[in-house]
Amino acid sequence: MMMKLNIRPILSALSRNRTGAVLIALEIAIALAVMVNAAWIVAQRIQQIEAPSGLDVGDTFAIGVARLSSHTDLGAAQSEDLAYLRSLPGVVAATATSSVPVSPYGQGTSLSPDPGPQAPMTPTRYMEADEATLGTLGVRVVAGRNFSATDVHPLSKRFFQSYPEVIITQSLAGKLFPGGNALGKPIYSGDDTPMTVIGITSNFIPSVRDSPAYDALLLPQTPGDFGLYYCLVRTRPGMTARLLQTAERHLAISNLDRVVFVGHTLTYYRQTLDAGNRDMAIFLTTVTALILAVTCLGIFGLTSFNVSTRTKQIGTLRAVGARQRDVVAHFLVENAIVLISGGLVGCVLALGVGHWLTDQYQLPRLDPHFLAIGLIALAVIGQLAAWQPARRAAAVPPSVATRTV
Amino acid sequence: MFRYYLRLALNSLRRTPGLTALMVCAIALGIAACIVTLTVYHAMSGNPIWWKNNVLYAVTMDSWDPGPPYDPERPTLPPPQLTYKDATYLVQSDIPRRKIIMTQLLGMLNGAPGQSVPLRVMTRATTQDFFAMFDVPFEYGGGWRGSDLDALPEIVLTKQVNDELFGGADSVGRSILWNGNRFRVVGVLRNWQPLPRFYDVVDNPFAPPEAMDQVYVPFRWVTALQALPVSNMTCHGSGSVDNYQEFLASECIWIEMWAELPSAASRERFHAFMDAYWAAQRKAGRFPRPLDNRLTNVGQWLKVNGVVTSDSRILLRVAFAFLAVCLINTVGILLTKFIRGAPIIGLRRALGASRRHIFMQHLVEVAMVSIAGGLLGLALGAVGLAGVRAIHGQDNTYAMLAHFDPLGVAWALALAAASTLAAGLYPAWSVGRVPPAGYLKSR
Repeated sequence: MMMKLNIRPILSALSRNRTGAVLIALEIAIALAVMVNAAWIVAQRIQQIEAPSGLDVGDTFAIGVARLSSHTDLGAAQSEDLAYLRSLPGVVAATATSSVPVSPYGQGTSLSPDPGPQAPMTPTRYMEADEATLGTLGVRVVAGRNFSATDVHPLSKRFFQSYPEVIITQSLAGKLFPGGNALGKPIYSGDDTPMTVIGITSNFIPSVRDSPAYDALLLPQTPGDFGLYYCLVRTRPGMTARLLQTAERHLAISNLDRVVFVGHTLTYYRQTLDAGNRDMAIFLTTVTALILAVTCLGIFGLTSFNVSTRTKQIGTLRAVGARQRDVVAHFLVENAIVLISGGLVGCVLALGVGHWLTDQYQLPRLDPHFLAIGLIALAVIGQLAAWQPARRAAAVPPSVATRTV
Repeated sequence: MFRYYLRLALNSLRRTPGLTALMVCAIALGIAACIVTLTVYHAMSGNPIWWKNNVLYAVTMDSWDPGPPYDPERPTLPPPQLTYKDATYLVQSDIPRRKIIMTQLLGMLNGAPGQSVPLRVMTRATTQDFFAMFDVPFEYGGGWRGSDLDALPEIVLTKQVNDELFGGADSVGRSILWNGNRFRVVGVLRNWQPLPRFYDVVDNPFAPPEAMDQVYVPFRWVTALQALPVSNMTCHGSGSVDNYQEFLASECIWIEMWAELPSAASRERFHAFMDAYWAAQRKAGRFPRPLDNRLTNVGQWLKVNGVVTSDSRILLRVAFAFLAVCLINTVGILLTKFIRGAPIIGLRRALGASRRHIFMQHLVEVAMVSIAGGLLGLALGAVGLAGVRAIHGQDNTYAMLAHFDPLGVAWALALAAASTLAAGLYPAWSVGRVPPAGYLKSR
């Protein structure tokens, strides 16, 4: 006799242990919502960790130097420091800037393609640079030209100056002139003094305020007008850590009118940036895996319970002609109904949580692909969890039906 | 009766060791995840000077330019710092019981006995009330005296600097060179590192060690040495600044101000004082934006400045979702397990046990599972926190925050007990409703 897979007896079986089924469905819903959104966040964090710095991070270090009073001749100190650094065997290039790429040390401003304080502004990081800066960082000029030595303003006591010629990154150029060519165009920082873009560089991560971006403005200025400067030093591969130590020790005592206040490799800053993202990714992945595991155990437990309380009924089914695979099918379909109803609630929940995350934490809107994949993955894992108890049910011999009263 | 319940519960749990282990582990995992995230969140969102929460106020004025607001992402907030002009004027007011202005400078200490290499020190330049206002504990001596106009070249060292330069001895009265100028040590602090660093949230409330304050000097030495701050400084406007005097007169904001205002009356008076100053300055052509003078208490200050990272909020919620899943799972297991024991319950009911007895008996079983889960969760949580510290170096913010604090533990245990008991209520109650007759008949 062919037994048709009839949904009615499955539904009535389900209604016998309604609370159990509802609880598992609820678990599945929460698991799906957490899993999908966690995966979405983790995907973005991995993207951030893998985002290239756009510069030679591995072989570069930075040392911050500050004046102690207005009597300090910071310009002379700077030339002296750079001459020393360039003389070290193993140093490829050295320059002084006002900010350190990839680190929290730096300055920001806002730019606009239009003059005046009311123009819509694009926030950016900036750094004071000279003709050697791009070379030291390993950043390419993709359009226009680099600064020449004569472009660079000498260090003065003036804090703010106007710069007729500046360099910006590709990313910033794209934001200021969407679809257009920024080269040769004037840009403004809230006033009427134009700065002409003479060069566009490949993208790199400048100093970081909240989260890393590729927007940077380079000003032709010998740094030090704010009382400090950073020596950026590129070394031959593998010598960075040792040379940093040597240089820090020397600079700390070579001139007592100024102070060395920080020294790190760019790798250190990159790792600090990545650490938070990595933590988040690890924690979210762990908890999601645990939620999945606990949910599977729940499904396993519910199916096992159903199988063990229905031994006699299964025996009867088998006795009247149900094959083993019909019994397996019965339990899997029963589980599938729970999975689907939980999954549907979970979809709504996942979208709701995703919306809330976008709203509260400015996360990008949840990609529906993640939801689809999560749903399929959960369905497969959920059916696998019910597989073993269902097999056990199929092993119940037909004779059980006749054994008990 | 209670001991009888205990024995019954133990028997019942022993009968199904697999299920029991599953429940205990699920609860433990959920609790552990919550402990780790709660501890970090609690440390981050903590108010390190809660006992003065409604006495200490951050003083801000909106001196920003009429164009874009100071922080385009939070346009309703005034800038968190003051200009030199405004700060030095407001700090002269006699209305607050105590008041300070401050900024962070770089410094170098020299000339301690036997010192061969200069010591780089992060320096907080502030006014004399700093120590009394923030209840800063002293190991030796105290703060300097005198208003900012006549403060002598006197310096306060942290314990760590005193240990390094003076071997931990009482160095009060000794002299030392700070940035080439002779200063007299007047005080040495005890260990004092409030987290988050509530009074300086503009830069980094969880500052890396290299940004922690190491010495304190009177504020007037900033201008005396024409020093520039290393902490956050933001400027607006296009006016050029050619020298230090123009810098002091500029609209650059770089000074934080706090006032101790113990009564509502004093707050109102100080607010009125600020408003009057604002009106006078506006007449002179400053303050182009609408009046927005604020006094913000510590808790509020930490909140508006977004000290608690959104990551730690998200993690906390994920941990709670996980705990919810674990508990739902436990409810399901308990329910099926109890219903399986229905024939025995039927028997006990028939022999005279009331529904209340049955309920109590099962609740004891739930409580045992909950306590075991809570204790195991506590252990796992401790391991998890140690793991967080192990992943990071010592100087990492997360590692600094991830310390097992007694309050966090109390929270987690209460959470375990309350949530599991709540989860067990329904199964224990529903099993009591089993009609005895049906189960007696079937076997």
